[in-house]
Amino acid sequence: MHRHDVVVVGAGLAGQRAALAAVEAGRDVAILSKLHPLRSHSGAAQGGINAAVGPEDSVDTHIYDTVKGSDYLGDQDAIEFFCQEAGPTVVEMEHFGTIFSRAPDGSLARRPFGGAGFPRTIYAADRTGLALLQALWEHLATRRFTLYEEWDVTRLIVRGGRVQGVVAFDRKTGSFDLFAAQAVVIATGPAGRIYARTTNAHSCTGDGVAIAYEAGAQLKDMEFVQFHPTALVESGILITEGARGEGGILKNKNGERFMSRYAPHVLELASRDVVSRAIVTEIQEGRGFPGGYVHLELMHLGREKIESRLQEICDYSRRFAGIDPVVEPIPVLPAQHYMMGGIGTDRRGATNIAGLFAAGEAACVSIHGANRLGGNSLLETLVFGKQAGLAAAEYAAKAPAPELVQSDLEEAEAPLRASAARADGEEPQKLRAEMQATMDRYVGIYRNEADLLEGVKRIRALKARFARVRIVDQSRVYNLNVTDTLETGHMLELAEVIVVGAYARTESRGAHARTDYPRRDDANWMKHTIAIRSPEGPQLSYAPVAYTRWEPKERVY
Amino acid sequence: MAAAAAPRTPVVAPFEVYRFDPAHDARPHYARYTLELAPHTPVLTALLKIRDEIDPSLTLRYSCRSAICGSCAMQVNSKSRLACETPIGPEIERHGRIVIEPMRNQPVLRDLVVDQSPFWARYASIRPHLVSDPSRPMPVGRENPMTPAEVDRFKETPRCIACAACYSACPAVEADPQFPGPMALAKLYRFVVDPRDGARQDRLLRIQREGLWLCLRCHLCTEACPKDVRPSERIRDLKEMAVQAVGVTEPGSRHAVAFAENIRRAGMLNEFRLARQTFGPVALLGQVGQGLRIWRKKPELMKRPHPIEGLDELRQLYDALEEPSEESR
Repeated sequence: MHRHDVVVVGAGLAGQRAALAAVEAGRDVAILSKLHPLRSHSGAAQGGINAAVGPEDSVDTHIYDTVKGSDYLGDQDAIEFFCQEAGPTVVEMEHFGTIFSRAPDGSLARRPFGGAGFPRTIYAADRTGLALLQALWEHLATRRFTLYEEWDVTRLIVRGGRVQGVVAFDRKTGSFDLFAAQAVVIATGPAGRIYARTTNAHSCTGDGVAIAYEAGAQLKDMEFVQFHPTALVESGILITEGARGEGGILKNKNGERFMSRYAPHVLELASRDVVSRAIVTEIQEGRGFPGGYVHLELMHLGREKIESRLQEICDYSRRFAGIDPVVEPIPVLPAQHYMMGGIGTDRRGATNIAGLFAAGEAACVSIHGANRLGGNSLLETLVFGKQAGLAAAEYAAKAPAPELVQSDLEEAEAPLRASAARADGEEPQKLRAEMQATMDRYVGIYRNEADLLEGVKRIRALKARFARVRIVDQSRVYNLNVTDTLETGHMLELAEVIVVGAYARTESRGAHARTDYPRRDDANWMKHTIAIRSPEGPQLSYAPVAYTRWEPKERVY
Repeated sequence: MAAAAAPRTPVVAPFEVYRFDPAHDARPHYARYTLELAPHTPVLTALLKIRDEIDPSLTLRYSCRSAICGSCAMQVNSKSRLACETPIGPEIERHGRIVIEPMRNQPVLRDLVVDQSPFWARYASIRPHLVSDPSRPMPVGRENPMTPAEVDRFKETPRCIACAACYSACPAVEADPQFPGPMALAKLYRFVVDPRDGARQDRLLRIQREGLWLCLRCHLCTEACPKDVRPSERIRDLKEMAVQAVGVTEPGSRHAVAFAENIRRAGMLNEFRLARQTFGPVALLGQVGQGLRIWRKKPELMKRPHPIEGLDELRQLYDALEEPSEESR
């Protein structure tokens, strides 16, 4: 058994920032991660990080843009705190060594982003996530903590209403072990692989969110799933919003700059949900290119600008789609990109379970509400990662010693042992593929009652079949079939919460677009969805949205 | 339209994949799988198809599938590549098959998964973090100023994704545990040129003793790098900066300087002189055995060279090269 004050699950930006805060507070900290920290999905973030710095911009405008972008579902007190922290957070990351792109006067360069009233997205070419991840890891690595690399977390142990620790699986040795801790911070990022068409990495399977849910944590607003407007057609690889921020334009097969019909004022720089729906509408109404996609044009920006500021996506287009964006348009289509929902937390990362904290995409504070603005997620990982780490450290200092027992380990291990011993049953990758196809087809950008009912039915049938999942590989060394099985189980739990929440919410708000309820319904639905696990499936309840200064208005771009 | 125009007709893709499970296998073997896939299909997609549809026990690291997480470096037809960005078509055209093996210079854990702890240890050895300079504290409440020209000095090093393809390709890593490897040295360069770093002198002094001159200048790292970081060119820059900043302190740098001086003097090498200048008169004694062996096998190498024709022209070239450049300042 391993023993630490604070165990952080996940080593992306949120997990690392939480760990740094807890280490600085004097606690004994461990990070448990499926991947080496530098391989985390935070590194794939391209476009930038928002901060209203400089005399022309204001924190208030950033707050207003975020509230409006959230379609008034974001908690305004949390958003105010979030935007106030933006400047100091970016400066701190610069001091840690982040290599940001610069303006001629030596200050941090800024680019325009969707849904923002001012160019306030600070960036490092089009690899901002990688630049931040490198700098934070290099800074954190100078501190004392324990890294458990390539461990899959399988269970959160809660007893007497308090967190006692986690159970995890060591890929290298094939053994399960107990990690006793007063406080656990979940920072496992997204669960985009619930969908087939996603910009997310293969490892984005929502493990931490699922184990928290299984242990009784409240999940918030899970039906709000963001689809990024521009991903490569075949692979779903992300083409950053920075491409439109730098002046890229969208065209249909008739050569029309169609965004003028959907967002006449800001065109391609409308909020992501608006642009994604516009693209799908163009295709559904017959104005997409054969096979169903639209064009993102960068050619007019010129080779120099494309190759310097959009270097990575230039490479991606050339290598993964055989397209040279300097001379031809990039065929694009929306893809699942971000989960606004997650483990419900307050603005210090605390959840409904004592000793359980969460931050980053795994958490829902909520600052993104029904739709996240580009450039706000990198900022979220750092601002709330730090808060969760501080709160976890404070809690761990006064919480009673955790108690784990041998049966915690045996209970976590038992279903996997049974799967490995099973001679029949289905392999996890088959169930995963069916789940992904179901979510793409029935719980996508446009939703309706019949589809969602069908989605609920299908996901529940898959969950029933998962009870007889089979692990084929019998090796103890680096057995990825165990990982596949754990991940598929986790994703099925979360898929059910998403589809049940989407079915219940009979309105359209932000990324949740119901064709049978096309209008936002503030009278009945200006509230957060809260899901708690029960043997019959998620039990839904609702919680109020926090307001400070901004009255809900119709959202026009 | 262009996407639709790319060749989509499936081709037969014969894979030979290195398999080794230490729990069950006495020695590695190669498993054959034949797939039919469009030529632009990345190797990673093919391997995942094998996992999902043929043999779920095939073990490899992968995550982002877009060349940014650095997980899926492996040997594709004997070259260190990222599986996610290597299309199968050209491999089949060139080699008739696709041989997949784990990266080199790192012990195999299972199949294509290698133990990367030595790679990370060498990376950690160069102190990959900003070292603060007490005489130049960070500005309070705001960023350090840095001009776009200063950002350009990092060259392509910020693109490094630590995939270890360079480390796998490097013969000096294989030969010498003291050599930090191309990735670690490119990372060192990134800190040496950082105007915020306070340890430039110390970094350059230490690396001269800790393996900088062990680079064989074969450029295989630059060839292997999927992100165009060009480690060998940054190693060259480090050598120049080290000699300029802290002088000619080690056999490696003395050899380089003596080499240049030899050529300027006569247009060709004087091996005896070169050895004496590299090792010094005392340590030269240790090289006597080696000298005798060379004298026996290739006595012409040990003769005092005569100045070559066109020496003046050569010296002019030297003078031109020694003009201080923007780069080396």
